[in-house]
Amino acid sequence: MFDDIDASELSYVGKKADRPDMLEKLTGEAVFVSDMEMPGMLHVQLKKSPYARARIKRIDAVKAAAMPGVRAVVTGDELDYHIGLYIVDKYILAKGEVRHYGEAVAAVAAETLEQARAAAEAIRVDYEPLTPVLHHMDALKPDAPLVHPDLGTYSYIQAVFTPKPGTNIANHTKLRKGDVDKGFEESSFIVEREYSCPSVQHVPMETHVAIVQWGRGDKVSIWTSAQSPFTVRNLFCHAFGLPHINVRVQVPYVGGGFGGKAGIGVEPLCAVLSRKAGGKPVKFQASREEEFSLLPCRSALTYRIKTGVSSEGKILAQHMTMYWDSGAYADYAVNVTRASGYSASGPYEIPNAWIDAYTIYTNKPYGTAYRGFGHVEFHWAIERHMELVASAIGMDPLAFRIKNALKPGSITLTGERILPSTGNVVKCIEEAARRINYGRLTDEEKARERKTGWKIGKGVAALQKAPAMPSYTATAVVLKMNEDGSVLVNLSLTDYGQGTYASIRQIVAERLGFSIEKIKVAFENDTDRDPYDWQTVASKGLLMSGNAAILAAEDMLKNAYAVAAEVLHANPRDLGHDADRVFLKHHPDHGVAFAAMAVGYALPNGSGIGGPIIGVGRYIAQGLSNLNKETGEGNPALDWTFGAHGMIVEVNEETGEYRVLKVASIYDVGRAVNPDIVRGQAIGGMIQGLGTAICEGYIYDQQGRLLNPSFTDNKIPTAKDLPLEIECAVVETPQIDGPYGARGVGEHSMISVAPALGNAIQKATGAELMHMPMRFEDVWRAIGKKEPVDNWITKSPVGSCRSAPELRKRD
Amino acid sequence: MKIRLTVNGLAYERDCAEHKTLLRFLREDLGLIGTKEGCGMGECGACTVILNGRAVNSCMVLAVEADGAAIATIEGEASGPSLSDIQKAFQRNHAVQCGFCTAGMVMSVKELLSTTPGPSVDQVKDAIEGNFCRCTGYTQIIEAVMELTGHPETKGELEHV
Amino acid sequence: MVYEFRYLAPKTAAELAATLDDVKSDGKLLAGGTDLIPNIRNGMLKPRVVVDIKKYEGAGRLAFGSDGLTMGPAVTINDLLRSKDARERYPVLCSCAHELASHQIRNRATVAGNVVNASPCSDMAPALLCLGARAVLRSATGERVVPFSQFFAGVKKTVLAQGEFLSMIVVPAESAGTSGNYLKLKRIAGHDLGIVGVLMTRQDGRIRFGVSSAAPTPVLVDTVSEKDDPDEAARKVLAAVLPISDVRGTKEYREHMIGVYARRLFTEVK
Repeated sequence: MFDDIDASELSYVGKKADRPDMLEKLTGEAVFVSDMEMPGMLHVQLKKSPYARARIKRIDAVKAAAMPGVRAVVTGDELDYHIGLYIVDKYILAKGEVRHYGEAVAAVAAETLEQARAAAEAIRVDYEPLTPVLHHMDALKPDAPLVHPDLGTYSYIQAVFTPKPGTNIANHTKLRKGDVDKGFEESSFIVEREYSCPSVQHVPMETHVAIVQWGRGDKVSIWTSAQSPFTVRNLFCHAFGLPHINVRVQVPYVGGGFGGKAGIGVEPLCAVLSRKAGGKPVKFQASREEEFSLLPCRSALTYRIKTGVSSEGKILAQHMTMYWDSGAYADYAVNVTRASGYSASGPYEIPNAWIDAYTIYTNKPYGTAYRGFGHVEFHWAIERHMELVASAIGMDPLAFRIKNALKPGSITLTGERILPSTGNVVKCIEEAARRINYGRLTDEEKARERKTGWKIGKGVAALQKAPAMPSYTATAVVLKMNEDGSVLVNLSLTDYGQGTYASIRQIVAERLGFSIEKIKVAFENDTDRDPYDWQTVASKGLLMSGNAAILAAEDMLKNAYAVAAEVLHANPRDLGHDADRVFLKHHPDHGVAFAAMAVGYALPNGSGIGGPIIGVGRYIAQGLSNLNKETGEGNPALDWTFGAHGMIVEVNEETGEYRVLKVASIYDVGRAVNPDIVRGQAIGGMIQGLGTAICEGYIYDQQGRLLNPSFTDNKIPTAKDLPLEIECAVVETPQIDGPYGARGVGEHSMISVAPALGNAIQKATGAELMHMPMRFEDVWRAIGKKEPVDNWITKSPVGSCRSAPELRKRD
Repeated sequence: MKIRLTVNGLAYERDCAEHKTLLRFLREDLGLIGTKEGCGMGECGACTVILNGRAVNSCMVLAVEADGAAIATIEGEASGPSLSDIQKAFQRNHAVQCGFCTAGMVMSVKELLSTTPGPSVDQVKDAIEGNFCRCTGYTQIIEAVMELTGHPETKGELEHV
Repeated sequence: MVYEFRYLAPKTAAELAATLDDVKSDGKLLAGGTDLIPNIRNGMLKPRVVVDIKKYEGAGRLAFGSDGLTMGPAVTINDLLRSKDARERYPVLCSCAHELASHQIRNRATVAGNVVNASPCSDMAPALLCLGARAVLRSATGERVVPFSQFFAGVKKTVLAQGEFLSMIVVPAESAGTSGNYLKLKRIAGHDLGIVGVLMTRQDGRIRFGVSSAAPTPVLVDTVSEKDDPDEAARKVLAAVLPISDVRGTKEYREHMIGVYARRLFTEVK
């Protein structure tokens, strides 16, 4: 879709443009599912498990069902629906056994929240507590309890995933490239280290919420705060065996998602309650505490990397083993494992690679997609590792990165050749370094060090990500012309804050040549009225829906030209148009207004021709393929967005406290369609990345109870946590198949923030941090070479950075 | 319990359950859904409204406590069809993404500017510290306030390499 | 909030005392509500009656007199911070107040509520301890005055008896002008409970330390003297505390940071 159009010739693309949702959001008029009330609507409260693993001996809900206002009580016993994106392993309510703390075992729908709460408290559950398996590394031990003893009987997507029945392994992704043994044999240095990070919560400001009405004739209406209306409908229909035509999913304004609302969530629970309550609409809104423990989180990761390097600093071989903590259910975690597995080395060329990536069941809240889809977590490891390898072999980390970076001609892990148009990671790294005066302290910085006594350090980390999606992912955009010649855009890629609709609007205006004020993108999505989109995930929205929008605009013009040709008695090839009318190119005064044709043109005698003008654009990913399950070979990447962060930090060596002085973030976005929105994504993601780097993470006790399921002890960054200085810049290497050359950047801004910080802290103090987040205490311990604290499962014997560096100089 | 209060300049008289928070009262009894609940614990600030001139978390105030009070919410911010200066500044500066924190954020800024018409960046941060925003990274919000108060030089731009 | 209760708002102090006497353990006092309401929401407290302490005449009075600074139970943290007199005469009190939570919470949370909750991480307690403040406790049967050094009885426990309420905080006139500084270690730069907090005050050669998040109750240390060196000062502070390990930090780190802060403050506070 890329036309080589100079920026100066574009009217809207690449220029400033308002977001179309501002007015509604700034006045409080935007209606979210949280705000919706249906006539006769019932409210839900849940009975949840206090245990991480237990057998459910008996549930007594008789008293609850008879309480005032209660219209339905449901327990797992009476339901037999399995849900799952990739491995169908989850019940709507726990059945027989609870598999994590906070899992729902029974649900009440009542006329008021107060009545529902009272009834939920009246439900009695007898449990037989069982020994949980909490740490994912413990779950691999031969005597570990099995989270899913029936794994062998579950259905799953066989072309892509490999569960191991009889173990806790939900998926094993393999990648084999070149000859690793030979690569290590030829290496002058070998460095092996282990990195880790805990589970993290997405924290959308609007928690998960849905209203479901199970109507007569099994016609189901769903209003939900979700990213992907069609995926909700598809998975819902599969779970209940309903025809797709029976189910309608509507998504109004959504208060953030970040991947946590990518798939299906609380909709099936509301559905079974509505059905039992005779078809009344049922609303469930998760409390913030439920958002932490009932709903999914980001998976924890342990990542072991062994790297062989030549005497010149070229990586010759890399052995990578990822252990992803899926929690109790596979959900997206198996696909996070797969997507991370095939890009596990970051933006570097590894001629000989061996990757095993495991998804491991444990008795903890389950993992799902989260902005970056694994790349935030494994780039923490890879980009800390690059730093540690470089310092171990006595090379500057920046030079080591640039030497090994993917460049035109490089072959990726899956065998894809990097082209000049793929993007320029080297330029991103160099620019990030330049903007922080990498490698030296300025006079001002030296003076600051003297004044404060805090040490200043600078670090750089690079990043890459391609959309993780099926090879045949598709979308569509429909344009409808209104009576006055304005245009309505329908698509079911959702905009839950990221701003894609503003960019789509610019693209449509650009391609139609219309004034942008005449273009409206409809916000509320509806599977009954909008064309299909697979999911709003993976930073693929702008590229794919942008392309579909271009095709739809071209189709709309073609249809308008056909009518105009008839009206003007002209060959369509002789026609041109401006913002308002179609005319003869050689006789511009002779034309017809779009408004006159919009819903059908009336000839002077009253006869009509044409009909309502619409434009349809369909787009499907081009040239992608499944990966070979044994070697990982194939073509998974719609596009690669590269980037880098440079970070300046000051650290108090006595206390481990630190402050981020500056972050410079650079991305190769192909073309920045809307500079303010790119900047919003860049800064918003970077701050979310800092949260992951500084303080966020689930902490469990040894029984598997989540100790910090609220903002009291699970902090996220506030306005006061901003770096003192933030710079964002883009490299623009056009994406050949991107709309006006654009590629996605929504997730990328969060990736590699943590290692840039870790690298800067190491530069300042020498502290070797292997575990994120880097709390002040962790930094203090690392500086003092004290035993690291591992309270992610408190008092667990499994440490976060026990692996010793294996460094051997060979001759 | 019967309560009388003024919301956005309009007088209301309602019978209100005594355990009901001001947040629920505004949303459920008065239909003012612009104010959101983000945590119900006073940590996130999504429910911020102005109570007798002061920004408060309405999830931690009982509606009955507000008997006789004057309250301002996001619904009263625009006058007629035109946005307030704060809203316009937010719009110009892309200070909104998902929009769920926006009402509370605008209310916190409103209280700040009512007492400190020319705030420093640090004063803005102090004022909105209690308003979580997971989308924007706060920067464009702070820039909106600084631009509004005569410091457009605070604003950064996306740069092209 | 889905737990139901009755709400009472007595109009005089005497009526309040009588109400408390009447409701006994079924009742909970509501001041700023910034702890009580979340605790009810979470089901940790299920009072039958909530008694608003803010609505009686004089509950919100902040005044300066011969006694010093007096604050009724409805005086909020920001009422205190907005008082120019308070900032000038009791800067230490205000620097602790400013460290408490976020602006919205400071608009509601009361000074009295912060100490009556008796959380080990109270930010106001170190200041009230170091300034020699007193609590006036009132009930249907009378009044008694308790210095804050004798006010805290354990984690979330005070010497308040059933039927009693804190009707006034008195910060003595003689501690006006006390200099000091409060260092609070948090997980983020934004609003957070302290991992540890250390206040040092100095007045007329008298040194006091107030420490939060370091023991079952806020701690007052008045054994440090001008003649000590920073290490000795830190040793004395550490001898008085008993930190634990929890999700916010380990005992080891807390002890380290209390020592760092004590040494730093001893050197810096003039």
